[in-house]
Amino acid sequence: MGSTAAHKFIFIVGIASLLHAAYSAAQHRAYLRITEQEFLSLPIDILIQGIVSLFVTMYGIMTLAGEFKEIRSTVDLESKSWETFRNCPSFYTFNHRGRALSPYYEPPQD
Amino acid sequence: MCAGRIKTAHRGTGDIVAFSESAVRNNAAVVEYCRTSMSALSGSTAGILGLTGFLGFGFYVFAVFGLWCLILLKAGVRWEKYFTNRRSLLTNGFLGGLVTYILFWTFLYGMVHVY
Repeated sequence: MGSTAAHKFIFIVGIASLLHAAYSAAQHRAYLRITEQEFLSLPIDILIQGIVSLFVTMYGIMTLAGEFKEIRSTVDLESKSWETFRNCPSFYTFNHRGRALSPYYEPPQD
Repeated sequence: MCAGRIKTAHRGTGDIVAFSESAVRNNAAVVEYCRTSMSALSGSTAGILGLTGFLGFGFYVFAVFGLWCLILLKAGVRWEKYFTNRRSLLTNGFLGGLVTYILFWTFLYGMVHVY
């Protein structure tokens, strides 16, 4: 997907178009009120503009929302080496018999 | 295992597939974000277009189907990589989205057509 700037632009254009459709609808309503006509439906161009800008905005949001991740857990684990995977810091042990191999080891005096 | 929790599920063929729970939750969060935005935006559009009554509810169903198509378009041909079930994408959160939809529908209808 990449370029989020382009998708932000798409999103902003969609919102602006939606607001423009709202303004057009309000103007049409005011025109009908002045000429004392009955409101039946909006003109077809405002309807089309509203629906198209809804989907344009939605496309922008969908790409901005983030990427899907692959849910099979093997894909997640494939990229990791065994050393990374088995590394459990909670189970580290420092106090074990290996210290007896150190040249500076002093056995406990009883 | 320390590397994230893992859930297993049986597929129809009988073999067991392991799912990474963090990835499932990430996908659900993305879909939820889109669904909330779609409810708000389609509610606004319905208000702007001046839909009333059952036409507005019909527009919500239309919007939900449109969102489903958009999600499947984003997921691509191999949607099984990202979701366990395709139909639950359509039906999850239908009523919760409807409440948001009605809120924005009535608000924008009042702003554009009443005042």
